[in-house]
Amino acid sequence: MDRAHTCHQPLPSLPSAADQALPEPQQEQLSNGATLVQIDLPQAPVVCIDFWCRAGSARETLEESGIAHFLEHMVFKGSQQLAAGEFDYRVEALGGNSNAATGFDDVHYHVLMPPEASEAALDLLLNLVLQPRLDPQDFDLERQVVLEELAQSEDQPEEVAFQELLRQACGSHAYGQPILGQRAALEGHEPDAMARFHQRHYRPERCCLAMAGPLAAIPSGLRERLEHSSLGQLRPGTEPEQNPAQLALTPGQARLELPRLEAARLLMAWQLPGAADQRSVLGGDLLTTLLAEGRRSRLVERLREQLRLVESIDLDLNVLECGCLVLLEAVCEVEQLNAVEQEVRQVLLEMQEQPPSSAELERARRLVGNGYRFSLEVAGSVAAMVGNSQLWQRTHNLQAPLDWLEQWDATALQRDLVPLLAPERAFCLQAVPVP
Amino acid sequence: MRATLLPAAQVERGVWDLNCPLWLLHRPGAPILSAKLWMRGGSAGDPGDQRGAAQLLAGLLSRGCGPYSGDALADLVEGCGAGLRCEAAEDATLISLKCASDDAPVLLPLLLQMVCSPWLVDDQIALERQLNLQTLQRQREDPFQVAHDQLREQLYGQGPYGHDPLGVEAELRRLDREALLLQAEQLGQRGAVLVLAGQIPTGVSELLLAGLGDLSWTSQVPQRLAGPRGSGSCSLATSPDETEQLVLMLGTTTTPLGADQALALRLLHCHLGIGMSSRLFVALREEHGLAYDVGVHHPARLGDAPFVMHLSTSADRAADATRELLNEWQRLLQQPISPAELELALAKFRGQEALGRQTSSQLADRQALVLGHGLPMDFADRSLEAAAALSPEDLHRAARTLLARPCLSLCGPSSALRAAERQWGRHALNNP
Repeated sequence: MDRAHTCHQPLPSLPSAADQALPEPQQEQLSNGATLVQIDLPQAPVVCIDFWCRAGSARETLEESGIAHFLEHMVFKGSQQLAAGEFDYRVEALGGNSNAATGFDDVHYHVLMPPEASEAALDLLLNLVLQPRLDPQDFDLERQVVLEELAQSEDQPEEVAFQELLRQACGSHAYGQPILGQRAALEGHEPDAMARFHQRHYRPERCCLAMAGPLAAIPSGLRERLEHSSLGQLRPGTEPEQNPAQLALTPGQARLELPRLEAARLLMAWQLPGAADQRSVLGGDLLTTLLAEGRRSRLVERLREQLRLVESIDLDLNVLECGCLVLLEAVCEVEQLNAVEQEVRQVLLEMQEQPPSSAELERARRLVGNGYRFSLEVAGSVAAMVGNSQLWQRTHNLQAPLDWLEQWDATALQRDLVPLLAPERAFCLQAVPVP
Repeated sequence: MRATLLPAAQVERGVWDLNCPLWLLHRPGAPILSAKLWMRGGSAGDPGDQRGAAQLLAGLLSRGCGPYSGDALADLVEGCGAGLRCEAAEDATLISLKCASDDAPVLLPLLLQMVCSPWLVDDQIALERQLNLQTLQRQREDPFQVAHDQLREQLYGQGPYGHDPLGVEAELRRLDREALLLQAEQLGQRGAVLVLAGQIPTGVSELLLAGLGDLSWTSQVPQRLAGPRGSGSCSLATSPDETEQLVLMLGTTTTPLGADQALALRLLHCHLGIGMSSRLFVALREEHGLAYDVGVHHPARLGDAPFVMHLSTSADRAADATRELLNEWQRLLQQPISPAELELALAKFRGQEALGRQTSSQLADRQALVLGHGLPMDFADRSLEAAAALSPEDLHRAARTLLARPCLSLCGPSSALRAAERQWGRHALNNP
């Protein structure tokens, strides 16, 4: 859920063989425990500064529904030193831009700046994020904006269907709750409760600041400056961090009628190991690509190209800390829905029995590998990758995902991951138009 | 930011004996290659009773060409982990290739193969046509799409810009191989340009030309020609829908990329709609909390480009949102923006240009667009310079000339439509 309306970014996926050495992330700790990670991309035309915090919606109590995301909005309403809108104005007047996004696990705030202006933006960003003003009048106004965001998503029947899939598949786990929050809870939130949420979670040991771009433009002594910044001055938490429970997806079946739906949807969800197991994440990328990326992938070839049952079929890996989610979406005519479901199950059953050929595996490996390599062209996605990794104490470099990717072979995929995508392990939702 | 936008790329004019210009933007860094073949005549070139032809053809070019069946082509491209797409937009059909530089020798010949020897087999036509029909149908789920389609009809009627590039259902259904063959013969004849960016292999012209075999390709250098015109002015259109929100689109038709006053209009776009400090974002969202998503849609076009303000708001706030949106448009006509606002808009214009050139694909894409419009290679740099010389009065003049009589398109619940209609009926913008 972004502060500004943007397209969904594909999840960081992955590279190929013609390797030149990739830049190394430089990680260090401030004295209060906050992490700083820098990665030099001398060719990039901009610097990305990306502040990460383990304060996603999964940290909310029931009463706090939606408050992590609402807080992300409120941050831009100013801090002790910055008036509402002043941050946006100053960043944009310097030729940069900013945005933020709240997920289930974490939240991040980022700016893209011309290199020579990046230092100025750093202080502004830290002050903004760590000392939000939470003015009651602004709070009421911004609540309206968040409610509009909610209404806008409720007008997209596809989003409603996905939300329902997660609600039923994830049971009482936070991943089953909307990041935007429940309307009734949003209507009742108060600035005090939000301030408490901020104090509880925006703690140095749960934060990571990532910088990617031509770092030669940044004066030396950055570490020293950060020690005196809002980040360096932040006091560590006194209570131990409560990590959300592991996900336990419940397999099942449901049907949902939705107004304004024009085409039927088959949605399915499976659970894979959580993001801490990066080798599995890469394997999951490989497997979903093999199954549903490109005309020659198993699902697309069978359902769209040969049987012509669907308009589209997608299978996405959502990398999450408490358990990754693989989500399938097929778009088809209502009359074809049962045939589509049967055929998807059939393809997945065949997958259990018939290991991928070396050509299939190689195709997927090249697609995943190049996707990753292409994403390294952009300072913003590099900052997000290294920032998110460090935030969750994963200290691998940019090369590591490529190596993991190489290590997977057909036998290992078949043994470790394919069984997790068995049809009987899925929650399956059919969404159809109201008759 | 710096005055020149191509600091990291070394520009070379490729040499070959085709009329279509070939440009090579050599970039250090990652071993990636991006290619963009821009051919004038997108959906605006669809024959009057064959709307959807350009997009249907675009989708079919990779479903069999030269020596490759659709499957063989997919095996080759996906086997290299590459991306190869072909899509029709309003003004052009664009083929995009992105791959690891090492794979360029096997993939580059595909570009001209797709253009000059597509198979267009009936079975694949039937499939692609069916997929496009289904997409057209599914798009109706999105109230923004409904409001946008409606506005397009208000602004362009039955003209070349009057339909979605996917087409019009009844006409798309009838499109067959014969019609598509005629379309395919014209690819590149109205102007084409090929731009490669990234790490480019040596002997690139030969690799590209290998795709032609014994065939020839009669392409042309893109010229500056008059593009499609707008038609409507100052109408209201409504689509009832059982949504939570009302979608509002207020817009008019303006002027082509590179025309007089186009740059002034681009700065107004930056002022109104780029970034969180933009006028619409601040006035409608930050000060009134009336919307989450609010902005300006103003794509570069060969013809009269649309200039559209859009937002969506809860049904019960329809009257306020409509009045405020109309006021914002009116304000552009009534008074020049301040020098400080112009300064901010300029910073955004420069920032956008630089941020839009981070990857090889972005670089190739922007250059292909500019060259495809018959504009010079250094158009972006010249625009930056020229923009710095514009005054608030220049922008005001452009607004008064180009934005005088907007149309309003609404989609949402009927109570909200009625409230919005009342505001429109009594607003000065509609009663000059």
